[in-house]
Amino acid sequence: MIQLFRVSKEYGRFRHALADVTCTIERGEFVFLTGPSGAGKSTFLKLLFRDEPPTSGQILVNGRNIGVLPPSQIPYFRRSVGVVFQDFKLIRRKSVFENIAFVQNVLGLSRAEQKRRAYQVLKRVGLHHQMNAYPDELSGGEQQRVAIARAIVNEPTLLLADEPTGNLDPVLSEEIMRLFLEINIRGTTVLVATHDFDLIRRMGKRVLSLDRGRLRDAPLRRDASPTAVREAPFLPLG
Amino acid sequence: MVKPRYIFGEAWSIARSGARQTLLAIGLIALSLYVPALFALLSKNLGRLSTDAETPAAVITLDPAADGRGIARRLADDSRVREIRIVSSDAALARFRRAYPELGAALGDLKEAPFPPTIEVRMRPSAGPGAGTAVAAAARSWPGVEIAESEEEIGRRFSDGVRIVRAAGLALGGVLVLAAILSVASAIRLALDLHRDEIEIMRLMGATETAVRAPFWLHATGEGLAGGALALVLLYATYRLGLNYLARSPHPVLSMFWGSFLDWRAVTLMPLIGAAAGLFGSMISLTRRT
Repeated sequence: MIQLFRVSKEYGRFRHALADVTCTIERGEFVFLTGPSGAGKSTFLKLLFRDEPPTSGQILVNGRNIGVLPPSQIPYFRRSVGVVFQDFKLIRRKSVFENIAFVQNVLGLSRAEQKRRAYQVLKRVGLHHQMNAYPDELSGGEQQRVAIARAIVNEPTLLLADEPTGNLDPVLSEEIMRLFLEINIRGTTVLVATHDFDLIRRMGKRVLSLDRGRLRDAPLRRDASPTAVREAPFLPLG
Repeated sequence: MVKPRYIFGEAWSIARSGARQTLLAIGLIALSLYVPALFALLSKNLGRLSTDAETPAAVITLDPAADGRGIARRLADDSRVREIRIVSSDAALARFRRAYPELGAALGDLKEAPFPPTIEVRMRPSAGPGAGTAVAAAARSWPGVEIAESEEEIGRRFSDGVRIVRAAGLALGGVLVLAAILSVASAIRLALDLHRDEIEIMRLMGATETAVRAPFWLHATGEGLAGGALALVLLYATYRLGLNYLARSPHPVLSMFWGSFLDWRAVTLMPLIGAAAGLFGSMISLTRRT
């Protein structure tokens, strides 16, 4: 599904956001990407949905080297990837329905089809009754669920989430993670960047750890304490 | 392929979300097009008065009791003269009404004919410059002739004047259309600032550059079109105001300068220039990096 081979990303000559990262994420996997602030988590995700190109190395998503994708092809690639952001990134002047149906609207799908798809995904996230509400009328948790609905409306094979629970309380965070699990069970590969170690521990999924731009695969035990995780988070997989 | 329904919907949404900026841009474009259009209107009216091949080289104004035919026969004896035309008071009034239909009505109430009878003299091309002046000078001493004026020099100077007004209008028009383009570009930049986050989100969600830009192009083109149309309305209002004023208090010179409105081609062109300015302004402000 995703293969990174010796990927580096530099901002200027002296800032190495990612250094020589090599890893593979299989189709249908649920993976956490963790690490302290500034470790390179967001950069990692930005490279995966081609918000930025890598400085060097190869990134294969569904067998396609997205590092060399021509600019005209990037929008089409992005439609095959769902992305959820910490700050939701909803368009304030558009209703929940319009936010979700945006790409379908651009593509000229009939209004009825847009509504049918939006209703389906909103039902999955439990917000079908808020179709005509505006983002400012919703709580943080609801806004994030709308963002998730928008991310999955095109039925992507890959869902990326950048600190999706960063602005939410623990109960809402749990709820959002349950949604990601449901999406993953339906076959979508899910990659969640977070530094919420409690959440990672409870979920018991594979973890990719980043530290100062370098990556190590680390198993995170359910019984590990947050302190232990922080002190020794990068245990190599056996 | 971006669907037109989406482009129109988004353009309308952009206009509504920044209504004040939209109105400001329309006003600026209207102002930028109004001034050169006013020059075009003046130039058109002045142009009607300028000389051409059919303009008489000399005009002999007769005493109402004079023997017009006799004077005409005398003028026709000159071998340099190509054509003699006697214009009676009634014919002069009819001609005025044809040329200035809006002002002709104002003269309807007069009991006496406002224009004296005249003889228009046209020279042969072989007569050379100054022939009209010579004929007018000779006729001045004839009985029954009140005034004899050569139109040659006046006509030449008048044509030069019209050319200067046209050139000034064109230059000013160019500058102001450029200003209109920059105004639209600024207005679009303002709209972009208002929608910068949205544009970023749209791109992240997989919107193509055309899907991002086309609504702004359409929005700006619409602003230009509306600005051009508003300038046209303002110009017509100015023209009607001028006519009403001149109908109430006729002026011998101003009345001639303010006789007709722009033709349909110029009228169509104004909103189109506005639309083109809008489209161009939006294109220079919307780059891949914005």
